[in-house]
Amino acid sequence: MGSFNLYSRGDRIFGVANAFLVTLIVISTLYPFIYIIAVSFSAGSAVTSGQVTIHPVDLTIAAYKRVLSEKLFWTSYRNTFIYTIFGTIATLLIIIPGAYALSRPQLLGRRFWNFFIAFTLWFHAGMIPFFLNMRDLGLLDSYFGIIIGFAGNAFSIIILRNFFESVPRSYEEAARMDGANDFQVLWKVYIPLSKAAIATVTLFAIVSRWNGFFWAMVLLRSEEKIPLQVYLRKTIVALVADEEFASSLLEEVYSFETVSAAIMVVSIIPVLLVYPFIQKYFNKGILLGGVKE
Amino acid sequence: MTETVSQQGVRDAPTTGKFEARVRWLVRHFRKEWQIYVLMAPMIIWFLLFLYKPMYGLQIAFKDFSIFRGIEGSPWIGLEHFQTLLGNDQFFRAVGNTFIIAFLSLAFAFPVPIILALMFNEIHHRIFKKMAQTIVYLPHFISVVIIAGIVINMFSPSTGVVNNVMGMLGLEQVYFLVQPEWFRPIFIGSNIWKEAGFESIIYLAAIAGVSPTLYESARVDGATRWQMMWRITLPSIFPTIVIMFIIRVGNLVDVGFEYILLLYQPATYQTGDVINTFIYRQGLQGAQYDMAAAAGLFNAVVALVLVTAANALSRRVSRTSLW
Amino acid sequence: MSAVTLRKVFKRFGPVEVVHGIDLSINAREFVVLVGPSGCGKSTTLRMVAGLEEVSDGTIEIGGRVVNEVAPKDRDVAMVFQNYALYPHLNVAENIAFGLRLRRIKKDIITASVNDVAATLGLSELLHRRPADLSGGQRQRVAMGRAIVRQPQVFLFDEPLSNLDAKLRTQMRAEIKRLHRRLDATSIYVTHDQVEAMTLADRIVVMSDGNIEQIGTPMELFLNPINTFVAGFLGSPPMNQLEATVSYADGGPIAKVGSDIAIPLPELRQLRNAEGHPIIVGIRPEDTAVERNGAANAAGIKCDLDLVEPLGSEALVHVSVADHPVVLKTETRGAISHLSDVQEFFVQPDHIKVFDQKTGLALDHPEVA
Repeated sequence: MGSFNLYSRGDRIFGVANAFLVTLIVISTLYPFIYIIAVSFSAGSAVTSGQVTIHPVDLTIAAYKRVLSEKLFWTSYRNTFIYTIFGTIATLLIIIPGAYALSRPQLLGRRFWNFFIAFTLWFHAGMIPFFLNMRDLGLLDSYFGIIIGFAGNAFSIIILRNFFESVPRSYEEAARMDGANDFQVLWKVYIPLSKAAIATVTLFAIVSRWNGFFWAMVLLRSEEKIPLQVYLRKTIVALVADEEFASSLLEEVYSFETVSAAIMVVSIIPVLLVYPFIQKYFNKGILLGGVKE
Repeated sequence: MTETVSQQGVRDAPTTGKFEARVRWLVRHFRKEWQIYVLMAPMIIWFLLFLYKPMYGLQIAFKDFSIFRGIEGSPWIGLEHFQTLLGNDQFFRAVGNTFIIAFLSLAFAFPVPIILALMFNEIHHRIFKKMAQTIVYLPHFISVVIIAGIVINMFSPSTGVVNNVMGMLGLEQVYFLVQPEWFRPIFIGSNIWKEAGFESIIYLAAIAGVSPTLYESARVDGATRWQMMWRITLPSIFPTIVIMFIIRVGNLVDVGFEYILLLYQPATYQTGDVINTFIYRQGLQGAQYDMAAAAGLFNAVVALVLVTAANALSRRVSRTSLW
Repeated sequence: MSAVTLRKVFKRFGPVEVVHGIDLSINAREFVVLVGPSGCGKSTTLRMVAGLEEVSDGTIEIGGRVVNEVAPKDRDVAMVFQNYALYPHLNVAENIAFGLRLRRIKKDIITASVNDVAATLGLSELLHRRPADLSGGQRQRVAMGRAIVRQPQVFLFDEPLSNLDAKLRTQMRAEIKRLHRRLDATSIYVTHDQVEAMTLADRIVVMSDGNIEQIGTPMELFLNPINTFVAGFLGSPPMNQLEATVSYADGGPIAKVGSDIAIPLPELRQLRNAEGHPIIVGIRPEDTAVERNGAANAAGIKCDLDLVEPLGSEALVHVSVADHPVVLKTETRGAISHLSDVQEFFVQPDHIKVFDQKTGLALDHPEVA
C-alpha cells in the first residue's frame, strides 16, 4: 500500500488552504513596501499617469539623487541617530537602577514607590501641561529636552522590576558574601543575568526613539535639530505646497510621489538592517511585558 | 563596617514601640541601605519632574491662563472652560469620533491578531512559518509617518495604485483622503495592517503554552485539525483573549492620534477629529492652553475611569490584576 | 580556623519567631551538620551565621568576635548555596575568581589561587567552560571552589547536595568529607538528609521547630537519641516506635502493647515501680532478628506479616504488632523465601529504647534528669 499518512484528506486540504491564506496575508503585508519601492525608482511621469503597480517603470534614480542632495535630509538623519542613541542611553540609566531598587525587599515604602511609577500608566496630565512644563524647564527646541524628556517609561520599569524579582536571591547573597555592594550586585550580577529583559526594554526604547515624531515636531523649532520623522512629515505633507519644489518638477524626471517614496525607502533601510538582529528578542520581550505587565 | 545584609529588610522593622527606637532603626537602615536609594533617585526625580509636575500644571484647566502670568499667577475661573467645551460643537464631535473610532477598532481590529495566530499555528513548515511571521511583524517597526506617507501615496486620487486599479476595473475614481466616509475605514484598515501581525505574538505565546498531549489525545480520538483548532486551541487561549480585550477597553480612548494627525485633513475632521487632535489644534496650534488643558483633563479622567474599571474587571475574571 | 559560638540566638520575622534562643558552640576545624525537617530553622540559623539574616536577639561569635553587626563580606566566611548561584555569564575560572576580583586582589595572585583550587577539585580542564556546559556534579564543585578560593575561617553549606541525583550525591558527599580533611576548616553544613548528616558530621545538631533537640556525634545520636524526634529522624528506616504501658513479668519489666503482646524491656532504674506508666518502645529495624539464634536471650514478639521488600543483601519486612506497623531489617543471604512465613521476631532487651509517652524523652538518657 501507499505510504502511511498522518493526516486525513480533510486535514490536508485544511493545511493547504491555510497556507494559501497566510501567503496572501504575507503578500498584502509586503505589497505597500514593494509599491513604494517601485514608485521611488520610477519616472515621475510614469507614476503620475498611473503605470506603476509592482515594478518600476522607466527606471531612474533621479528621486534618490534629489533626496540625498538635500542637506536637511542628512541633518535630520544624523539627529535621529543622536536622539536614538543618547535617548536610549538616558532611558537605560534611569530605568535599570530604578527597577533594581524597586525589586529590593528592603526598600522602605516599596509599595508606595511601585504605585508612584505605575500610576503614570493610568493617568497623565496630558499634552498641554506636559508642553508647558517642558517650556518652563527651558527644554523647548533643545537636543537635551528630547533626550531627557522622554527617558522614563513606567512600562519598561515594571518589566525590568518583575524580571529582577525573578532572579534567585542566592545569586545576590553569594555576591554579598564575596563582598559586593549594591552597585556591584547590580552591575556584576543582575545586569548580566537579565540580558533578555534589558534587550527587550532597549528594543522598546530604540524603536520609540527612532519612530518618535509628535513631540519632536511640537518641541523643536529649528530645522537643524529636527529628526528624520519630522523631516519626513514636512516633505510628505508639505511638499505639495512648496512652490519652489513644484516649479522644479517641470523640468525633472522625478515627481512629488517619487521623491516622497524615495525618502520613505531611505528612512526604512536602517530599520530593515537591524530588524533581523532584534527579531529574536521581541518574541521573548513581548512575553516578558505582554499580558503580565 | 557595621552593617548586615538583611534579606528580609523591612520585615525586621519595628512596627510598634517607641518613636526613638524607630528612628534608631531608620538611621541604621539608611546607613546600610543608602545605595538603593541612590540608585532609585534618578528615576524618582525624572517622574516627579516630567510626569508629576505637569499634573500640578493641570490646574490651568480651571484658570484663565496666560503664559505671561504663569500657572500660579493666573486667576481661578472655576469650570468656565468646561462650560465652553460643552458649548463647543467641535469638542462634541471630537468626543463622538473618539468613541466611534475606538469601538470600530475594537470590533474590527481586535479579532484579527487572534485569527492570525491561529493560522500561523496551523502552519507546520517551520521555515515558511518563520518567514511569514517575520514579514507580518515588520510594519510594527515602521513609523506612523511612513505609514501615513505610504497610505497617502497609495490612495492618492490620480496617481495612487488604488485608484489606478479601480480605473482599470472601470470604477469611478475616488479621492479617498478628502472624503469623510472613507477616513475611518482607511485609518482602521491601515492600523490593522501595521499592528495585527505583531499583536499576534501574544496569542502565539499562549498557544505555545498549550500542552501537546491535548492534541495527541484528540488525534487518537479522531479529531480533525479544524476541530482541534476550535475545541482545543481557541478555548486554551481564551483567558488571554479576555485579558487582552480588557486591556484594550482600558486604553479605549487612546486611538493613536499621532497617526490621525498625519492622515486627516480639514475635509475629514468631520469623521476623523478626535479629542487629542482637537487638543493639539486648540492648545498647541491655537495657544488656547487653558481650554485645551480642560479637554485633556476630560480625556485623562475618562481614560482613568476606563482603565480602573478594566483592572477591576480583570481581577474578577482572571484573579490576577494587570498591575 | 575559628570557632563559632551562638548564644541565645533568636530570629523573628515580624511577629513570627522561627528560632527560639539556641545555644551552640562549634570548635575550630569541626564539621558540624545542622539537620532537621524543612522549616525547623536550620537554614535561618546558617544564614544568621553568614550575615544574610539579622540576629533578632542573642549573639553570634566567629573566632571570638561578636559578628552581629558585621557585614557578611567582613565575617571571613564562605557559603555554598543549594542552587550553587554560579553566574551563567562567567566561565568557571571567572566564577571562582569573582570574590577575589571584588576584593581587588592582584591578577597574578588570583590566577594562581584559581588554578590551585581548580587542581584540588579536578576542575583544571573546565576553567573556560560556562556553568551551562557543566554537569551537576561539576557545578557543585565550582560552587565549592568559589568558597575555597577565599580561604575563609568558616565554610557554610546550605543543602549543597540536594540538587544532585542520588548516585552523584553519594560521590560528592565523600568528596566533601575528603576536602574537609584536607582543608581542616570549620564547617557548618545544613541538610534535611539524615544520611548526609551521619556520614559527614563530626557532630550533628538535630533541630525541630526552631529548637535544638540534641547535639552529639553521629553514633551518640544513633545509639542514644534523647527523644522520640531524634530517634525517628536518624536511621534508615527510622526507629520503630510503639505505644505501650509498663508491666512486669518474671521479675523484669515488660512493655504491654495492645492486649496480648509483651516486649521485654531493659532493666532500667527508671522502670522500677512504674506499673502502668505510658511509654514508647523504640526498636531499631537493624536490631531485630526473624530467627531466635540471631538474638540468643531475646523473647519472641508475635507479629502479622504484611509484606517483604527485598533490597538485595538485606530485606525490609513490614509486619504489624497489635495493629502497630513495625519494620524489620534482616539479611537475605540470597533468598527471601524464608521470610514469607514470619510470625514472630526477636530483639534483645538491651537494644530497646524506652521513652516517656508524655514528654517523648528517653528514660535513661544522661541529660534527662
